[in-house]
This record gives sequence, structure tokens and C-alpha cells, in this order.
Amino acid sequence: MRVVRTDPQRGLALCADGEGARHTVETALVEPLSAGRMVLVHAGVAIASLPVEVAA
Amino acid sequence: MKFVDEFRDAALGRAVAGEILSLVEPGRHYKVMEVCGGHTHSIYKYGVDDLLPANVELVHGPGCPVCVIPMGRVDDGIAIAEVPGVIFTCFGDMMRVPGSNGSLLDAKAAGADVRMVYSPLDALRIAKQNPGQEVVFFAIGFETTAPSTALTLKRARAEGVKNFSCVCSHVTIVPPLRALLESPDLRLDGFIGPGHVSTVVGARPFEFIPADYGKPVVVAGFEPLDILQAIAMILRQLAEHRCEVENQYKRVVPYEGNLRALEVLAEVFELRPHFEWRGLGFISHSGLKLSEAYADLDAELRFSVPGVRVADPKACQCGEVLKGVIKPWECKVFGTACTPERPIGTCMVSSEGACAAYYNFGRFAREREVV
Repeated sequence: MRVVRTDPQRGLALCADGEGARHTVETALVEPLSAGRMVLVHAGVAIASLPVEVAA
Repeated sequence: MKFVDEFRDAALGRAVAGEILSLVEPGRHYKVMEVCGGHTHSIYKYGVDDLLPANVELVHGPGCPVCVIPMGRVDDGIAIAEVPGVIFTCFGDMMRVPGSNGSLLDAKAAGADVRMVYSPLDALRIAKQNPGQEVVFFAIGFETTAPSTALTLKRARAEGVKNFSCVCSHVTIVPPLRALLESPDLRLDGFIGPGHVSTVVGARPFEFIPADYGKPVVVAGFEPLDILQAIAMILRQLAEHRCEVENQYKRVVPYEGNLRALEVLAEVFELRPHFEWRGLGFISHSGLKLSEAYADLDAELRFSVPGVRVADPKACQCGEVLKGVIKPWECKVFGTACTPERPIGTCMVSSEGACAAYYNFGRFAREREVV
């Protein structure tokens, strides 16, 4: 999913999946994140963020 | 779509299939186990096995979270779900897994408040919305899913949510692999390592497979080209008489895993001395329970559960399918008494189960061959 907006205070991010549907995702395991980054989300939690050079 | 189209490129797929063909030794039969149910699903969905030479056989492994849950654990979940005032939450697949006297879906039909969630965080939200009721989450899955449960329990603790608890049936991937490697039933040449489990645990925990058993492991992604490339990498190791852990899924899997996730797991969970796996029996140190510090959120301590071991139905051969000893279609009840609509065994329930994946996709190719 692609990060649309982050909320570091609550440890959450709004992410969009491949079809454009939006999901609230827990980001504690991959912070810091910024909008535009790609993350791998499993059961509501981002478990990996793709390296910037790969995601570009 | 980025990260999808380039891994489904037909021309590249043909090129890797050609490379695989050039690496196999004529007359030798290769057995490669894909550990993860996600790989099994992709293999049948995209027909990856159709691109392999006849002497390269893919064997399906035990890495389907729903498939390995024994009937007794389902019965424990149903017993809690039937307690008046309890809202019982679980992933969608789990609702259809048969226990000894029906599934959670049957319990829901009979009046229990069983709800499907996509994440344990959804279950926590339900708990906050219903402070007068106990909300229980049925946690299943390997190390991929366990961090999600762990973070939810930490949130429940931090936010002081008292009416939330969890039945922990999380399992770990290394002990069943070791059990399989010790099993005399099965001779394998290499392993396609589980990609998403490895995002959490890394590729390092699989080093015992080449070190102790002399078999190559390639951690792989889930697109058809990922799987084909992993098979080529395994065959290349065999051709060059090497055996090591290689990481095909570097775009997501760091070799050392996600250290923050591992820290959270170590804080919230501890290993059970033994855990029963469907079809595989009891495996030492293979299941997780809540640690002492989180014991007050353990639903098995908060509620009374039968905790009884229940034998699988006689007709069901999920155990042999999970160990890769038989193919799904070789099971006596495959596609007749046992279908995704009315499953007898767990492998027919989840989309990651070998039987369901084969029923939904692979059987059509097989029917073509038979004709």
C-alpha cells in the first residue's frame, strides 16, 4: 500500500491499496514513514517499508 | 501497477522457465517444498507448476495459518463464543474451520455473537465501542500476523481497555520445518522460504536447513516470477553443489528481519512447551502464549475452555497434505465430501490451503490433461 498521510503521534497512517481503497494502518514497526512510501501491510499493521530507491 | 506488472511479465517468465529447464539434470527427480500457503495459492492461481519440467515437483508445506489449527482449539474458541455477553472476533477464514461439533459460523447461526475482523485492531475498536461486553479475539497465524496481535495487546494495555482479551493460537515456522526434515516420510531437495514470515524473522532462522540438513533455501516473494526465480535459484545451488540460504525477496525481506517486530513479540509472547498442530501432532516450542506480563489479557485464563484434544475426522487427510506426503487430489474426500463450501478439513477452508487452492484453480488444468 502507498502511504497517503501519517499520524506519528497515534502511530497510524492512512494508506491506499492497489485499487485505491483507503485503510488505517498501524506503523509502529516501520517508522519513520512519510507520504508516498510503499509499505507491506498484514492484518492492519505495516510489517515492512520498501526502500525508497525501490519504491520510487 | 507498480510491483505487480513487472513480476507477472510473460516474456520474463518464459525466460526463467528456460533457465530452469537448463538447470535440471535429466533422469533426476527434484522435490521442492514451498513452505508458505501464500506460495501454494500463487502457484495454482498462476499455473506456475505448468511452466516446470516434469521432473521438478512442488510439494506443499505446512505454512497455512488456518490449516494447522487443530479441532480442539476451534472447540475452545466456540466455548468462549457461546458465553452470554461475549463478542467473539476472528479472521474470516477461521469462522469456517470445523470443530468437533460445528464451526464458529455454526455457533453464530445458533445465536453466538461471532464477528469477522480484518485485524485484531478492529477487535479492540469493537471492545471500546462495547464497554459492557467482553470482546475476545481468536489470534492465529505465524510470525507475520503475531506482531499485529502483540501491538493490539500493547494498545489495549496502554489505553486501559479492560474488556478485551485474546485466545492465542499463534505458531512459529521453524519447529514444524525441523519436524518435517526429521520425518522419514519425505525426501526434499530444497525449500522456497516463506516471504512474509521472513519480513519479520528475517532469513537467518532458516540457516539450520543448509547447515544441519544440507538443503538449499530461497526466501521468495509471491508473484509468479518471484516463485519461478526462487526455483531457478534452488536448482542452480543444487547444480553447483552449494546449499545456503538465499534471499530472492530482498525488496521486502531484510536478512535480519524486522528487529522492532521481534522485540514486540518477545515482550508480549512466550513459547508454549508444546503445541498441537493439525495433522502434525504435538511439536515442542512451536506455539506462542501471552507472557506473564500480559497474562491478564489471556482469554484462556479469563474464561473456562475445554482444552481437550480432538482427533481429526477419519476421512480427512489434511495431515498428509500438510506434510506434503500426498497431493490434495489424492485425498479420499477431495472435491466430493470435502469442498470449499462444505469443508471437512482445514486445507479446504483457507484460500492458502493447498486443497482449496487446487480446488479453485489447479483442478481445471488437471481435467484438461485427463481429457
